[in-house]
Amino acid sequence: MKLLRSGPARWLLAIVSIAAVTAIGRVIGLNPSTVGFLYLIVVLLISVWGGLLVGTVSSIIATLCYNFFFFPPLYTFTIEEPANWFALAAFLVASVTVNRLVVAARVQAETAEQRRKELETLYGLSIDLFTATNRVGALGEAAGRALQLLGAREGGLVLFEGGAYRQKVIWWNGQKPDEIEDLIAGVGRHQEAVELPSPLGRDVYLPLIVGGKTSGALVARGTEASKQALESAARLVALAVERERFIEENAHVQALRESEALKTSLLRAISHDLTTPITAITIRTESLRRRAAADPDLLEDVAAIAAETDRLRRRIDNLLSMARLEAGKARPRREPTPPADLFRAVRENLPLVFAARPVTLHVDADCPDANVDPSLTLEILVNLVENAHRVSPAGAPIELVARRHPLDPNKLRLEVLDRGPGLPPGVADADGNIATETSDVAQRGLGLEIARSLAAANGGTIGLAPRPGGGTIARIDLPAALLPVEEQA
Amino acid sequence: MTISSVILVVDDDPAIRDSLSKELRAAGYSTLTANDGIEGLSAVQSRGPDLVLTDLAMPRSDGFELIAAVRAFSRMPMIVLSVRGADPDKVRALDLGAEDFVTKPFSVTELLARVRAQLRRTTSPPSSMLAFADLTVDVERRRVVQGGREVRLTPTEFSLLELLAANAGKPMFIEQIIARVWRSAPSTTADTVRVHMSSLRKKIEPDPSDPRYIVTEPWVGYRFIAEPL
Repeated sequence: MKLLRSGPARWLLAIVSIAAVTAIGRVIGLNPSTVGFLYLIVVLLISVWGGLLVGTVSSIIATLCYNFFFFPPLYTFTIEEPANWFALAAFLVASVTVNRLVVAARVQAETAEQRRKELETLYGLSIDLFTATNRVGALGEAAGRALQLLGAREGGLVLFEGGAYRQKVIWWNGQKPDEIEDLIAGVGRHQEAVELPSPLGRDVYLPLIVGGKTSGALVARGTEASKQALESAARLVALAVERERFIEENAHVQALRESEALKTSLLRAISHDLTTPITAITIRTESLRRRAAADPDLLEDVAAIAAETDRLRRRIDNLLSMARLEAGKARPRREPTPPADLFRAVRENLPLVFAARPVTLHVDADCPDANVDPSLTLEILVNLVENAHRVSPAGAPIELVARRHPLDPNKLRLEVLDRGPGLPPGVADADGNIATETSDVAQRGLGLEIARSLAAANGGTIGLAPRPGGGTIARIDLPAALLPVEEQA
Repeated sequence: MTISSVILVVDDDPAIRDSLSKELRAAGYSTLTANDGIEGLSAVQSRGPDLVLTDLAMPRSDGFELIAAVRAFSRMPMIVLSVRGADPDKVRALDLGAEDFVTKPFSVTELLARVRAQLRRTTSPPSSMLAFADLTVDVERRRVVQGGREVRLTPTEFSLLELLAANAGKPMFIEQIIARVWRSAPSTTADTVRVHMSSLRKKIEPDPSDPRYIVTEPWVGYRFIAEPL
C-alpha cells in the first residue's frame, strides 16, 4: 500500500491506466463517446488515488490521447469536425472538475479524521488529568502521553515557580537545549503561543494560563497537530496544574488544621492533668494548715508549701496562656474591665503576698475602664506584683495604682510600685522600655517576659522605671474602654 | 444550723473528691460523692442533697448533662468546678442553670464562702429587707443605707442593686440584667448597663478602688459578692 502511494508509483499508475484505456479502445474499436466515459472513470480513480497534481496532469494527458487516437484525422492533434472540438473541450472540463471535486472531498475527509483523532486525544487527556492526578508526577505523565498522541516527537511540561525564569521541568522527552529556557520564559511572559520551524519539523510553545496568570508552558516539538488542538491541550494542562496546586495547598491547610487540633487537645489535657493534682495539693495543704494551727513551726512549713504550690500553679497558668496565644487558639477576648476589679482579683490570686506585706490599691476617680482580656491582664498584674514581692525587703509596701494615661486619652496606665533594690542595669532602656536584646530571660525573670508578651497580646505595653526614693515602677499601658456619653443620674 | 446541709461532690478524680469531702465535713457539712454525671444524677434523685458541687469534664456523663438533668426537676443550687481557660464552658454551665463556679485550683476558704452564699440564698425566705455587712437594701421603701448613711439612687440604679443583691453570690449575665431591669428595651446595650453600674458602684462602694459589693464577672456580667448577714 505504502509503495503504491509513493510519488513515482502514482505517476506510473496514472500513465499505465491511461495507456490501457487507449489500447483497449483501439483494439476493440470502441466508439469515441464510450472511450470518453472510460477516460473519465480512469481520471476519477487517479484523482482519488493520486491527489490534485497527478489528477490534473492525467486529465490533460487523457485529453491529448483522446484527440490523438480517437478523433479523425487519427494520429494527429488536429480535429476535422468542429463538433468534436466541443466534445474534447467538454471532456477536459469534466475531467478537471471531477478531479478537483474528488480531491477536495478527500482533503476534507482527512481533515475531519485528524480533528476526530485530536478530539479523542484531548478527551483522553482530560480524563487522564482529572481522574488520576491525585499524586504528584501523574500530571507530567499525562501531559507526556497527550503530547505523544498529538504527534509531538519531543517536548514536555515546564512549570514556573514564582517567576518565568525559575522553571521546573515536570516531564520532558528528548533533548532540551538551554536556549529553550528563554523561549519558554518569553512565551510565559507574553502569554502567547509561538510556532517555529525546526529540524524536527514544527515546534509549538504554549503558555499555560489560568485566570490571567501563567503557571508554565507546554512544548510540542515536531508536531503536525493543529494549533487549536495544541492550545486546547495547553488549557487542559493549565487547569490540571491549577487543580494540583489547589490540592497541595488544601493538604497543607489540612495538615495545619490537624496540628492546631493536636495542640489544642494537648493544651487541654495538660491543663487538666496539671490542674487536678495541684488542686488536690492545695486542698490538702489547707487541711494541714487548719490542723497545724497550734504548732508555729509546722504552720510555717505548711505556709511555705502553700506559697510554692501557688507559684507553681501560676507558672503553669502563664505557660498555658502563652501556649494558647501562640497556638492562635485563644485570641484575647477583650471586654470593658474596671481596674478596681482587676486589683481585687490580684488580691484573690495572691492572698499570701497581701498577708505578708501592706499592699495598697488606688484607682483615680477619672480612670477609664480597660478594654482588655480580663484574665490575661490579671496574669500580667499578678506576675508584676509577684516580681515586686520577690525583690522587696520584708514589710516594704507595694502599691497598685490605676490612672488615665498622662498623654493619651484613649489609654490608661496601671502601675505596680515597690521599694525594692531598683532596676538592675540593662533590664530597661532610658525610656523605660524593657530591653529585649541586651538582657536575657534569666536576668529579667520569666515573669517579666511573660507579662510583656501578654501585654502585647492585649494591645498594651510594659515599661520599667526607677522610682524616686528607691524601688521600681512597672507600668502597663492599656487601651481604654471609653463609656458612651455619661448619663447623669 | 442544727441539721447539717448535705453536699454532693461529683468529680472523676478521687484525689479531689476525697480531699474536698473531707474539708467540707470539717466545715460541718455532710457529704455524698459521685464519680460522674450518671452517678451524680442518681444520688440527687435518691438522696436529695442541698447543694451539688460538680466537675465539668468527666467520662460517661459530664457536668453539663448533670446540670441540665437536675435543673429539669429541681431548683437545687449547683456550683461548677471549672478549669482555668475554659471560659466558654463556664458560661455554658451558667446558661444551663448552674448557680456559680469556682476555678481550679481554688482555695477551700473561697469555695466555702460560695457554698454558704448559695445555701443561704435558697434557704432564707424572700424578704423585703436585704441586709449585708454595712449595707441594707429596703426593697419595699426603696431605701439603701451604706455604712450608716442613706445613699440616694436613681430608680434604675435601685433596680440594678435590688436584682444583684437578691441574687447575692450568683453571677448575673448582662442579658439577664437587661431583661429584668430594662425589660429588654430595644436600645439597651451592654454599654448602658456599664454606665449605670459604674455610677451605682461610685455611690455604694465605700472605696471605689477596692470594691466590696459588686464585681465584674469576666465574659458573664456582674456578681454581688457580699455575704448576707
